[in-house]
Amino acid sequence: MAPMAVFQTSFLLALLPLSAHQSEVSSEPLSLNVSISSAQQRLHLKWSVHNLTHPELKMAFQIEISRINKSNVIWVENYSTTVQQNQTLHWTWESELPLECATHFVRIWGKEDDAWAPHQRVWSSWSSWVKVDAQSLLGQGPPLVFPIDKLVEEGSNVTVCYVSRHSQSNVSCLLHGQRIPREQLDTHVSVFTLTNVSFISTWGSNFYCENDPDIIAGAEPGTVLFVSKVLEEPKGFSCETRDFRTLNCTWDPRSDTDLPKYRSQRYALFESFSGKTKSCEQKNWCTWQVAQDSQMYNFTLIAENYFRKRSVNLLFNLAHRVHPMTPFNVLFESVSTANATMTWKVHSLGNFSTFLCQVELHGEGRAIQHNASSQVDGQYFFSGLAPATEYAARVRCAAKHFWKWSEWAGQNFSTLQAAPSKAPDVWRSVRSTLGSCNVTLFWKPLSKSQAHGEVLFYNVATEFLGRPSSSKLFSIPAPATGTELSLDGCSHKIRVTASNSAGTSPASVMAIRDPGNQTAEVKEERIQGTEDGVSMSWKPPPGDVIGYVVDWCDGPQESSCDLQWENLGPNATSTIISSDAFRPGVRYNFRIYGISPESTAYLLERKTGYSQELAPANNPRVNISNLTQHSFTLSWEDYATDSQPGFIQGYRIYLRSKAEQCPPEFTKADLPDNSEGCKHDIDNPEQKTFVVENLQPESFYEFLVTPRTRAGEGPAHPFGKVTTREQHAHALIRTILPMVFLLLLLTVLCYVKSQWMKETCYPDIPDPYKSSVLSLLKPKENAHLTIMSAHDCIPDKLEVVNKPEGIKAQFPGARKSLAETDRTKHDYIYLLPTEKSSVGPGPGICFENLTYNQAAPDAGFCGPVPAPHTAPPGMGGLLTAPGNLLRSLEPSYMNSSGETPAGETTLNYVSQVASPTSGHKDSPPTNSLELAPRSEYRMQMAIPPGLASPSPNENSSLSSMSFLGPGEHRG
Amino acid sequence: MLACLCTVLWHLPAVPALNRTGDPGPGPSIQKTYDLTRYLEHQLRSLAGTYLNYLGPPFNEPDFNPPRLGAETLPRATVNLEVWRSLNDKLRLTQNYEAYSHLLCHLRGLNRQAAAAELRRSLAHFCTSLQGLLGSIAGVMAALGYPLPQPLPGTEPTWAPGPAHSDFLQKMDDFWLLKELQTWLWRSAKDFNRLKKKMQPPAAAVTLHLGTHGF
Repeated sequence: MAPMAVFQTSFLLALLPLSAHQSEVSSEPLSLNVSISSAQQRLHLKWSVHNLTHPELKMAFQIEISRINKSNVIWVENYSTTVQQNQTLHWTWESELPLECATHFVRIWGKEDDAWAPHQRVWSSWSSWVKVDAQSLLGQGPPLVFPIDKLVEEGSNVTVCYVSRHSQSNVSCLLHGQRIPREQLDTHVSVFTLTNVSFISTWGSNFYCENDPDIIAGAEPGTVLFVSKVLEEPKGFSCETRDFRTLNCTWDPRSDTDLPKYRSQRYALFESFSGKTKSCEQKNWCTWQVAQDSQMYNFTLIAENYFRKRSVNLLFNLAHRVHPMTPFNVLFESVSTANATMTWKVHSLGNFSTFLCQVELHGEGRAIQHNASSQVDGQYFFSGLAPATEYAARVRCAAKHFWKWSEWAGQNFSTLQAAPSKAPDVWRSVRSTLGSCNVTLFWKPLSKSQAHGEVLFYNVATEFLGRPSSSKLFSIPAPATGTELSLDGCSHKIRVTASNSAGTSPASVMAIRDPGNQTAEVKEERIQGTEDGVSMSWKPPPGDVIGYVVDWCDGPQESSCDLQWENLGPNATSTIISSDAFRPGVRYNFRIYGISPESTAYLLERKTGYSQELAPANNPRVNISNLTQHSFTLSWEDYATDSQPGFIQGYRIYLRSKAEQCPPEFTKADLPDNSEGCKHDIDNPEQKTFVVENLQPESFYEFLVTPRTRAGEGPAHPFGKVTTREQHAHALIRTILPMVFLLLLLTVLCYVKSQWMKETCYPDIPDPYKSSVLSLLKPKENAHLTIMSAHDCIPDKLEVVNKPEGIKAQFPGARKSLAETDRTKHDYIYLLPTEKSSVGPGPGICFENLTYNQAAPDAGFCGPVPAPHTAPPGMGGLLTAPGNLLRSLEPSYMNSSGETPAGETTLNYVSQVASPTSGHKDSPPTNSLELAPRSEYRMQMAIPPGLASPSPNENSSLSSMSFLGPGEHRG
Repeated sequence: MLACLCTVLWHLPAVPALNRTGDPGPGPSIQKTYDLTRYLEHQLRSLAGTYLNYLGPPFNEPDFNPPRLGAETLPRATVNLEVWRSLNDKLRLTQNYEAYSHLLCHLRGLNRQAAAAELRRSLAHFCTSLQGLLGSIAGVMAALGYPLPQPLPGTEPTWAPGPAHSDFLQKMDDFWLLKELQTWLWRSAKDFNRLKKKMQPPAAAVTLHLGTHGF
């Protein structure tokens, strides 16, 4: 339905005059007829004036246009014209609002406007309102958007309306996705004003509305706005002729929207002298036929599109707009080694037969330009050309009244060959061995300007100086750059020439002599490289020289020498040698020869140097020696100074330690790794050892030895590490080692003589016969010296010894070794004087041989009395003390078995007999116990009354038993 | 050799020797038609994206779903599922053939209007492919012994620029043409897949004769 409605709207509104809506009343002075053009949004008014008083009358009209209702006048137009009888007058009004958006009303009135008219300034009555209602044609279809597919100019404002029979509260419209504010015109019409519309696409910008689908289903109205860019004035409008028959006009059309649906901007040429106009088919050029009799032209280029018209003028004389055609038939005549003649032709231009031509010659890397006046046939003579050289020549021409050059027309040609103009630059290397002479000749290819053609071969003629007739000739084909000759003797003269197809060059002559040992005789000097090359100078020799030659090897190795040389004049004493082959950090050796008038070369000086010195790439490998408490020696003897990328100027030694002070020879410096340290410079490159002194003992040092060249130091790594020796270590070693040795010697001696030592110093059983006492007694009683037998001994005293240690010895864990117990016996067992020393009433006497009985009573059987060392032991004390002690002891220590525990013994009878079978004094207690049966004495006990019976509650027998081993209870 | 084997495996369902009797029957043609449909679906995705971008918003917005106003002349691809299931092979193929005949005609009209040269090339290429699909469907119908639908006199699908159409409605028609084409290709893939399964012989009777491929 919608397309049909649009169809009807477009066609009916555009084509049909709205006669149905007009009110034409014959009684009215003016009959008004209104038609509409929907696409252009225009109202076309037509009216005629009834009953004109004169055949021709000047009249004024006023037109009123109302919108929506008659009272809403939106436009009043005053229009004056001359009206004739039965003339229909026209006036058009363009609405900014699409006419489908609202009903419009039109009416008109008029008056006579002539000064002489009788009814001047008296308005006629208004015509009836003519209603223009395009909406009524839309019917009840879906909502629509107007205008339909409008073409607008970029930057303009466009009013769009949305017409619907439904409520429009929820309608929302967008232009290319951008929402546009809505304005309600009436209940069914919403208006949207699009301001400053911009070009987006040649497919147009879509304006579309989104309805609430609940209210209006199946409708998505929209329209497409085609935006045309603003037409610009053409630039660069120009016309010219190449043949005096056609003018070709060109221009730059600038921007063009080029909408596919709408015709693009159009261009037309108007020539004012002839009054002719031509519509141009192209957008940027147009042709115009030249009239035979026209010399002056005044063109107007008119550019036009739907909205605008632009124009640009151009006035010119045809003779001043001649752009000649490209010259043709370019040829060369009489080409020789140095000259050539170029000829060409120019297209005829009627009366214009003289041209200004420009000739250009390219060759030898340069271009030469000449101007030449020319007729239709032109020519130019080139001279001073180089032989055997290819040239490119070209020509272009312009009319006498210069407007534009024609295009170039060119041709290549080559001059003829000539004999080489210069002798080859030759150098040699001579080696003499056993009377023969090996000569290697080198020559440089002649330059193109010297060769004058392709060199085909080189001629080498040798002549022995002693015999001029013995010459030999060698021919070496090009492009060889050298040859090797083996000559009989070195005294030869050598001539070298180059030949091409046109002739032979002058000869390069040199005399060869035995070089001898020149190289060893001449001392080598060091030179420095500069930015320009390696600079060197030399002293002129005393004799005459006709020139100098400096030669060197471009290659780094002797095997890949690539000998180079440079010839210098006789006045030269210095030069700068540069070569693309020179590499930084490579040492080159130069030899300077003087050339004598006899063409003999003599070695004058030898130079060695770098084009650019580099810092050493590696540091020497450093050995450490002579490490002491305060110094160490660094050495790098194997460092090759000659094979470095620069002349070694010396070495720098960096030292890093925890000490704040530097050794005396060093100065404080920032180390290459930005840490602080010390440095010392060695300026002699041949000094490859250094003693670092005045160091702290037992200190850690890091050092780096790096060579120095003009370009800088070697790498900042790696640092070596060394720790100085300890201060007293040496002395200690010198003292301790002999001592240890002596100690070992003594130990060995002692071991070897142990038996003797024992017998001598500490026998197991002292031999009375060997006693020293005997030696003392001998002088007095030398007759009968006998040893008292035990059988003969009648005891007369008994000493009672109270030995609290025995109690002490009963504590668990208190079973010390006998040796230990024995050591204490001497403190607590006393040999008491008989009778006189007896203090107490009880029997408390003990005979004890201090050398003999240590082992017999063990700690339990004969415990020492814990009396103070100084206090004299008394019987009372001895008797009471055990009781007191026992009371203080645990009950468990009271033996209830009827056996007498050793610790409880208060009376101890100790034999004083020295048993022959008695063992070592350190014998275990069991052995000592065995002494009892063999002895004449038995242990007896005097039990105090208070201790006679054990406590009834005593139950510690087990523990007591466990404490005392069975062995200890025997006997 | 490997490429040949891959080709064989890829087209295994279409191997003519899969037929019990040795007569390839319509199976390969259906498979080819199905493959072409899937290829066209892929091709159209790219083409439609470009074309709708030319049309501009709202046509290139993913959720744009306008009423089918001016597209009554386009054959509808949407159909009730039960109705679609109940279609016999002849009717199914006939509908496809008729639909693509109409769509191809409209598509050529679209190509004539297109201003951008690149777009015109893409459209022309797609039209050629669609013409191929039409021929492929005709081949299947012929293999099955169905006659091609004869256009009624005066109903030959032609394209003529509608003078009454506004540019906006024309854009809407273009949108619907591409949309219907997309739906038809989707539906055709289902149609030919269904036909393909229907034409496949029982698995037990399948004998693979690779000799036809040179093995």
